[in-house]
Amino acid sequence: MKNYLKLFLLAWLLSSSVAFAQSNRITGRVTGPDNQGLPGVNVQVNGTTTGTSTDASGNYAVNAANNATLVFSNIGYTSQTVAINGRSEINVQLVEDLKTLNEVVVVGYGTQRKTDVTGALTAISNKEFAQQPVTRLDQVLQGRAAGVQVTQTNGAPGGDARIRIRGANSVLGNNDPLYVVDGFVGANFNFVNPSDIETIQVLKDAASTSIYGSRGANGVVIITTKKGSKGLKVNYEGQFSTSENIKRYDVLPAGEFAEIVNARATAVGSGLPFTTDQIAQFKQNGGTDWQSLVFRKGSGQQHQITVSGGNDKTTFLVSGNYLNQNGIVNNSGFKRYILRTNLNTQINDKLSFRLNFWGTRSQNHNTLDGGAIVQALAWAPTTPAYGTDGQPTFTDPIGSVYRNPLDYLYDQSVDQNRTGLNLIGGLNYKLPIKGLSLDLQYAVNFLNAQNLNLNGKRLSNNNPTASRFSAEQFTLQNTNTLNYDLKVGDHSINAVAVLETQQFTDQNFTASAAGLRFPQLGYDNIGGNTAATVASGFQKWTLLSLLGRVNYGYKDKYLVTAAVRRDGSSKFGPANRYSVFPSVALGWRLSEEEFIKNLNVFSNLKLRGSWGMTGSQAINPYATLSTYSTIVSAFNNTAATAGVILGNPGNPDLKWETTKQVDVGLEMEFLNGRIRIEADYFKKNTTDLLLNVAIPSYAGGGTQARNVGEIENKGFEFSIGATPFDKGGFRWETNLNYSTLQNRVISLGGLPRLGQGTGVGAGMSTTNEFMLIPGEPLGSYWGLQYLGTWKPNEADQAARQGRVPGDPHYQDLNGDNAITTDDFQIIGRAFPKGTAGWNNTFTYKGFTLNVFFNGVFGVDKLNYTRAAALSGSGDARQFILSEIRDYYRPGNETSDVPAFTKTYQPFTQSSRFLEDGGFVRLKNVSLSYNVPTGFINNKANIRVFASATNLFTITKYKGPDPESARVGSGTDTAIGIDYGSYPNAKQYTLGINLGF
Amino acid sequence: MKKLVIVALAATLTVGCKSYLEENTTGLLYGGNVLSTQDGLESALTGAYRGLGNQWTYGFLHPSATAATIGSDDVTTHPASNKADWREFDQFNVSTTNQRSGAVYTGCYKAIQGANNVINNYQKTVGTKATIDIIAGEAYFIRGFSYYWLTRFYGSIPLVLVGEYSSDLLTIKKSTPAEVYALIVDDLKKAETMLPNTRRDPGRPNAGSAKAFLADVYLTMAGWPLKLTANYDLAAAKAKEVIDNRATYGFQLMPTFAAVFENDPAVAMIPESVFQIGGFTGGSGTANATYGNTTMPGEEGGWDDMFAELNFFRDFPAGPRKDATFRTEFGLGTTKTPWDKSLTRHPYYQKWYIKGNVVTSSISLPSVMMRYPHVLTVYAEAKARGTGGPDQAAYDALNAVRLRGRAAGTKALSPADGLTATQFADEVVQERAWEFACERTRWFDLIRLERVEAANAAKSPDDLQPIKPITKANYWFPLPYTDTSINPNLN
Repeated sequence: MKNYLKLFLLAWLLSSSVAFAQSNRITGRVTGPDNQGLPGVNVQVNGTTTGTSTDASGNYAVNAANNATLVFSNIGYTSQTVAINGRSEINVQLVEDLKTLNEVVVVGYGTQRKTDVTGALTAISNKEFAQQPVTRLDQVLQGRAAGVQVTQTNGAPGGDARIRIRGANSVLGNNDPLYVVDGFVGANFNFVNPSDIETIQVLKDAASTSIYGSRGANGVVIITTKKGSKGLKVNYEGQFSTSENIKRYDVLPAGEFAEIVNARATAVGSGLPFTTDQIAQFKQNGGTDWQSLVFRKGSGQQHQITVSGGNDKTTFLVSGNYLNQNGIVNNSGFKRYILRTNLNTQINDKLSFRLNFWGTRSQNHNTLDGGAIVQALAWAPTTPAYGTDGQPTFTDPIGSVYRNPLDYLYDQSVDQNRTGLNLIGGLNYKLPIKGLSLDLQYAVNFLNAQNLNLNGKRLSNNNPTASRFSAEQFTLQNTNTLNYDLKVGDHSINAVAVLETQQFTDQNFTASAAGLRFPQLGYDNIGGNTAATVASGFQKWTLLSLLGRVNYGYKDKYLVTAAVRRDGSSKFGPANRYSVFPSVALGWRLSEEEFIKNLNVFSNLKLRGSWGMTGSQAINPYATLSTYSTIVSAFNNTAATAGVILGNPGNPDLKWETTKQVDVGLEMEFLNGRIRIEADYFKKNTTDLLLNVAIPSYAGGGTQARNVGEIENKGFEFSIGATPFDKGGFRWETNLNYSTLQNRVISLGGLPRLGQGTGVGAGMSTTNEFMLIPGEPLGSYWGLQYLGTWKPNEADQAARQGRVPGDPHYQDLNGDNAITTDDFQIIGRAFPKGTAGWNNTFTYKGFTLNVFFNGVFGVDKLNYTRAAALSGSGDARQFILSEIRDYYRPGNETSDVPAFTKTYQPFTQSSRFLEDGGFVRLKNVSLSYNVPTGFINNKANIRVFASATNLFTITKYKGPDPESARVGSGTDTAIGIDYGSYPNAKQYTLGINLGF
Repeated sequence: MKKLVIVALAATLTVGCKSYLEENTTGLLYGGNVLSTQDGLESALTGAYRGLGNQWTYGFLHPSATAATIGSDDVTTHPASNKADWREFDQFNVSTTNQRSGAVYTGCYKAIQGANNVINNYQKTVGTKATIDIIAGEAYFIRGFSYYWLTRFYGSIPLVLVGEYSSDLLTIKKSTPAEVYALIVDDLKKAETMLPNTRRDPGRPNAGSAKAFLADVYLTMAGWPLKLTANYDLAAAKAKEVIDNRATYGFQLMPTFAAVFENDPAVAMIPESVFQIGGFTGGSGTANATYGNTTMPGEEGGWDDMFAELNFFRDFPAGPRKDATFRTEFGLGTTKTPWDKSLTRHPYYQKWYIKGNVVTSSISLPSVMMRYPHVLTVYAEAKARGTGGPDQAAYDALNAVRLRGRAAGTKALSPADGLTATQFADEVVQERAWEFACERTRWFDLIRLERVEAANAAKSPDDLQPIKPITKANYWFPLPYTDTSINPNLN
């Protein structure tokens, strides 16, 4: 060990002083197709180890003999070899390499040439989003990879996003992809700084993902972060943005609202809330526009600084990122700080060492759904925002039964602070056997989550409460990889064997205080209270894995991959602890066959197919045990006493969910890579599906997890990349991808159906909003079919249900003249049938224009925001949306907006409020300009850009944003309900990028 | 280098041993030994009470039980607004997904699960026997109390006697009211012997509470649906036992009706409380929402959930009780709106206003589930309908309630007034309607006496009407869809 350290230090020292043989000094500048300096281009003296790389402006200097040749190479460009011929200055323009033949892609536990890949994977390089103001990984993935579906469910800065690869396999478990960042398995995508990303690989089929075994079923996103390269580089990027609502609801003006409230009161025989004088005054002076009080123009800024450099042996990259965004809802915002350091050193021919470190801190403040957004459409426009005392009006006698939207905004704090640290250390050693290397990697991941809540005096109605929740997650990972490469004649073999362990420890505690004596101290000093409760928890689970993979290629034409992983998890009982996940894939590079070569059409043509198994643990630790949970009961008016209740019954027979997937794919390249097409068909079946089967209330209620079902996902993925135009300095590159997804439940283990609730529709939903039924997809809406209003000629029929013409008419499925749960049926689907992305880049001289569209098709949304504001449900007592103008009344009997009657019974959980949630959105349009480097004496690259996000949306959806929804990314069975969800915003950004 | 690799590999392989995958259950409470200690048993009992009081979720700390009983003639709700689920009860159109009756159903069964767990384990608990018996006595009381609510709401129901879940429960059949009542009587009989005379806390029962509920149960069993008229005598005897020992149990009729409904959150328990569920704003879900907002008009920042039926108010005999029962002028400031000029044109229930007219839906007040005058009227009615007709004690019991509520100078009833036993009993029933207006009592009286149809026929046309003619099928609510959809044997 001591010897090793000495060696290490020595190598480090040596590596920093490289001696050159004296010869001529050659300088020059390397530019790209746009005549801009290209940084980081490798300049090598052919046949020697001498070389350098270009600086931020594309300049280089190298010593070489007069008769030598220089090789200029850079990833993504065709290499050029230039003879020096005695010159001292050589300028070179590199041409982009459109062929993907030599591209190397990262696969699980290794790398592969793109041409050798037999699985379905999509690579996204940082070039594809460099022109866009992305701040988080989901924005990078959205629309850029076929088969990947990204939904920003909460439009707040730092808000939640749902990312799915090839649909959802699990009902109970999480369907998030597995994120692997620099080899750390199970990273949190929120903490990845897009500016640090070198490449992203999205692994989709089982041949690619089975190597991740029990965590591979949802697809894998492998991220490799940037490394430093020789020569010091400093890059700064700054962005400034403003944002605003895409759309707001159209509400009645105060005067008209008052008239309609009176009309309803007259119809049901109540007193008139408004006098004609008051109505006249409202018409003259207007009322309160609650939406304007809740929403505002948001703003934001982001700064990124990256310093990288090194020498032949050792390179480093240090980057810092600061993001500060104020959302479009007043008093909401997000801040983030990220620091990263990547160190690589080649100690000698055999041994290399790497160390990646990042730390992050993020802070969400009031980035909430519901609350103010719901109340803004429940509070009457006739109620003043503030009372005579200057305080927000406390109660609304006409509109909402609940709190003033302003109190939600300013009398509460809901803060989430996250601190993450990740340290990865690894060494790679070439063993004495040729082609065999050993890689050891250790990773430590630490996450601290602080949730801080304050409910002020007004919002809590004089019982101010505050709470602090603190959780710590600590993960240890060890990965030991043996890699073997061999090429003998026409045969090439690559083999990998890995032993990996992971240990996850979660600890948490909560303290909450009620009756705060000093609410002005907020959650920062909760000791002064009249009642406090505390709780704490602990969870630990472990994973032990062995895996291996062999790639075999014959003549680079016939390719075979076989992989297997065996996982053991502490979450399961001893009988079900281990599981094996194999896969096999075949590839045939037709373009290497003479008969295809003779066609002279394809620069690449590959047919591939794969089969494999992956798994999901889908349950929390301890789900095999029946445990008690802690509650409190009150036996008097001054104290709460702690007790225990039986929680959900455990199930000792729980086991893994298994997903079998087949995939067939075709890759084509024409015109030397100018047109690239990739198409895939896949089918996934998840068996032993874990379901939370409801326990009847009489048996204690709750649910029990059981392995009872089966789900199928199948679909097509299609992507085409092309350079339709490239002449006279003008160039248009386009990428289009489209994917379909058909999801259905095959079996629920004998259950005819299984309800899935959300809890978001309290006071609105009468039963679970979603139903799993064999043959139907996940996310099937369960509700009543709305047939419009009862018409005058249907009076007799309506009377049999106790209704009158003008009342809502729901389909009475069983014809018993009563609208009951027996009349509920599937009324829509929350899962999109198709998604598309279309990315265009136009370049002309120093200008680059990016136009990026994103589309979602064949999806329904249940619009509870509109339902509450249009049916007197939830907290809303009146109808506030301008749509109500059309209500059924004599002379307007064709209207399907119900009349004002005493027998009016609204069911918000009906097709009346189910809307087409499909959309096409101009996700990004940005224009950037590279300032000619001559402008500042070739000392720096300057790029300025302006960008607009979500500029326009084509949709039939009546809410402000078809993308956001009230249910977060944690589930796929109950998605798509919009009930005051924080909407996505339109954003305008100005930015500058400086490179030295 | 080789050494390093060996060290690293060795370190890795050591974690590869079997124990690496053993579950670490530090911090988990599970298994049969949880209830083996007295503290564990007491904690489980506290958990059983949670079923009766979990604000906004289940039980009796929010106005769900009130909503479910407004089919009677004393309370109604808003004809429009957001009260669709309340109207279902007043209009006799209760859906299987109604969340109001559902909250009572879920809460009672959660309490039963907790109580079953205590009852089935207390004999194995190590500790002070006297205390353990009290704990078990409270559990028997909670179970009897909960099943009593359930069978009165739903008739035939699943009768569950185990705490731990087993898959057999998924196909259990419904038990008839007779079977359910047999268990209720049995439980309350055990409770009356195991409970102490003094409550351990205001929010717990004593022996008197158990006897009082047993008397009420007998009275109900004597009417619809069981019609075991012999139980009138049992009811009278049991009520008499409570009345005779009221000092022992700490029960007392308060001197004025207004004092009963001061609703002062600083007072833990009024002397009239026979059994109450505690409310406290400081705990998670333990605050009480049955006072304040729910009973107040929109003019006062209230929710207009419940208010008085017009004819009920009109016929209500004048006196201090009427004054304290109703709120007839709205406005928390100086401007007052008389009820007939108000938005809903109905008087409201002052009895659920919080002291100082605080506008809130979370307060540290108990839900009193039975008041002592209830016991007095049970005795009076049961004695009248039972063997021998009303005796002087029955007259005394009725008069105590009647005279306190009515205008000064009201004459006490006496045998000399010449009422038949039935007339006297009906007089008691009517007195109960006034005394316990909007206290979830009237609905059950109308059912056991089969007077739901008649009472609703006498409603003002300006109140909500039944959507279809009332039949006996409307006496019970349909079992919640959440459970019938899982267990087909419940249909």
